[in-house]
Amino acid sequence: MDAVQISNVTKTFGAVTAVDDLSLVVPEGSVYGFIGPNGSGKTTTMRMIASIFYPDRGDVRVFGRQMLGARSELIGYLPEERGLYRKMAVQALLEFYGELRSGRKVTAEVESWLKKLDLAKWAWQKVQTLSKGMSQKVQFIAAVVPAPRLLILDEPFSGLDPVSAETLQSAILDLRRAGATVILSTHDMQVAENMCDYICMIFRGRKVLDGTLASIQDQYGNDTIRVAADGGARFLDGLPDVERVRDFGQVQELRMARGCDPQQVLRTLIDRTRVTSFSIMKPSLHDIFVRIAGPEAGEAQIA
Amino acid sequence: MHNRQHRILLIAKRDYLATIRTKAFIIGLVVAPLLFGGGFLGVALMQSKPDIKERRIAIIDGSGVVAAAVIQAAQERNAKDLFDKTTHRQVQPHYVFETLPPAADPKAERLALSERVRQERLYAFIEIAPTVLSAPPATNDTGNAKDSKPGPVATYTNAGGFDEASGWLSGSINDGIRRVRLARLGVDPSRLSDVLASVKVDRFGLVSRDPKTGEIREASKKNEVAEFGVPFGIMLLLGMIVMVGSSPMLSAVTEDKAQRLVEMLLGMATPFELMMGKVLGALGTSLTSSAFYLVGGTLALYGMGLSGMVPFAVFPWFYAYLIADVIFLCSFAAALGAGCGSPQDAQQLAIVLLAPVMIPYFMITFIMQQPNGAISTVLSLFPPFTPMLMLLRQAMPGGGVPAWQPWVGLVGVLAFTLVMVVAAARIFRVAILLQGKTPKVAELVRWAVRG
Repeated sequence: MDAVQISNVTKTFGAVTAVDDLSLVVPEGSVYGFIGPNGSGKTTTMRMIASIFYPDRGDVRVFGRQMLGARSELIGYLPEERGLYRKMAVQALLEFYGELRSGRKVTAEVESWLKKLDLAKWAWQKVQTLSKGMSQKVQFIAAVVPAPRLLILDEPFSGLDPVSAETLQSAILDLRRAGATVILSTHDMQVAENMCDYICMIFRGRKVLDGTLASIQDQYGNDTIRVAADGGARFLDGLPDVERVRDFGQVQELRMARGCDPQQVLRTLIDRTRVTSFSIMKPSLHDIFVRIAGPEAGEAQIA
Repeated sequence: MHNRQHRILLIAKRDYLATIRTKAFIIGLVVAPLLFGGGFLGVALMQSKPDIKERRIAIIDGSGVVAAAVIQAAQERNAKDLFDKTTHRQVQPHYVFETLPPAADPKAERLALSERVRQERLYAFIEIAPTVLSAPPATNDTGNAKDSKPGPVATYTNAGGFDEASGWLSGSINDGIRRVRLARLGVDPSRLSDVLASVKVDRFGLVSRDPKTGEIREASKKNEVAEFGVPFGIMLLLGMIVMVGSSPMLSAVTEDKAQRLVEMLLGMATPFELMMGKVLGALGTSLTSSAFYLVGGTLALYGMGLSGMVPFAVFPWFYAYLIADVIFLCSFAAALGAGCGSPQDAQQLAIVLLAPVMIPYFMITFIMQQPNGAISTVLSLFPPFTPMLMLLRQAMPGGGVPAWQPWVGLVGVLAFTLVMVVAAARIFRVAILLQGKTPKVAELVRWAVRG
């Protein structure tokens, strides 16, 4: 069964269409990532899945059921804007949220998660005494107690240090292994590539990409060359059939025009300098994102 | 049990405990009645420390015969009222009089006396016209400030506001004039005090028949504390508890919204559940305060031996009105709070929220003078005012509120509360996730009507 089925959903706020005729399917047990620029409609879509917003048109089903007007312990939701009662003790707050969602006492689960995320000694401290990273972990526990079948995480790693981010990533993958379906939004393309089974890009309220990373990359083919050469980017000017050069410093990424012969590019480069690394590959998610939502895309549209 | 009621009660419990465990609540429980009752206490304290400095009054007697009688009447009254009969403490100033003949230039004389008043060598002066004994009986003063022509007797004073001395002098002047008139009619001057002596008038309620035994029950004597203090006190208490219970809702919702708590909660409860949970939490706080005050007040009256004044009969009504009023005002506050873009916006709206409690306070005197008049009845059946005004009328001993009126009032209040809760829930649902925008009144009304 699909965890989420969204069919032709539109949501407007006044004159602004936040989500425009969106349809997608989130397979059960998968990690499904939303990417897209700010204001593209990701949060609105996630809020509709969590029944916080109702669509103006279309249908949102979670585990085959229309969730309108109902909250369920099946869904755990971590909003982008973090909100905790600052004067409550951490454990009391988490027990309150857990009971509110499930209708039963969740003391044992809360204690277990506090231990797991290294917050046990803060259990009876007030939330206002926690650091930002710890608060974010507390917020995450609020979303996963009791264990949900569908976990919706809006920007779960924003503002976290690498260690905390890794802890949370590992916890999310544990939940997935235990059978949960995870929907998350992120601006970190590396996270999306590494964690998500499916990636959906929303741009200006519309779905522009949807599928596995491989299937998305297949749409673009092997049109990217990653090269490292003595002298760096200054030897890459004027290469034949190269549309764009991205300079990362030690490495450069070249996007080839359709029908371009990479061997010809290599030969030209060898003539100019000493090449230490040369690989032909599919474009990264980052590159695909920029191609769709970057200034280049705007220029293409204007043209 | 995992359903809507459970979620509402859970939110209510959290909000209730979060409120009553704060120092602000405990301090407020003690401070609020001091603030509300402090004014009355202040008045009582000031009355216990009257100004007893000697007051010199000059009388210009145009009639040539009235001044002596006025002075005699005033001195007799002064002697009688000068000391408290129980404590023997002086409670009134000593009045000293001097008589002046009318001058050739009355304006210059008035000016000279006015200067003496300004220099505090005189407290006031009285001018008695030559025609005072033939003057027509006084009619009610219209209070028209433009009509500055003096009547047969005029007092001139520098005292502002409510000058209790003017009332006291007025009584003495009239007493003196009556003495002169009676003497002219041949009444023996030595009997004048007996003739003019006032008779104590006792006020009683109505006689009734015991419905069980059929026995006629004597009317009980009216008591000012029971007649004014108790109804006023219980209405004041209701208003105070309602205000203290409902006004924090506005800022609480705005703060929850500003701190982004709302979205988290809306992932677990519907907007209606969230709003009702908060409203019930506030209701719990109000019921706790009311229990504290009612039990405390009752024990205090018992302690003072005034147990008969405890209006037990209106206690159930007090709670019915309290519950309806708090639910209505808290829902209203939650809707307004949801619509506010910032806590500053919320503060500006607080006055709108408190209007249903504050406006009835301005009507107290009118309602107490005519508790069963048509206007009092209509006002007390107007749902936003019913809790305060109907309770005031019901708490007046022998107020004679027809039995149907409180019930009709209560039905009206409950229906009004229901409508307000539905409208507020609709506004709350739409407005609570709006960020960076304060909705216009027209938008709030549209959301309330259409959802």
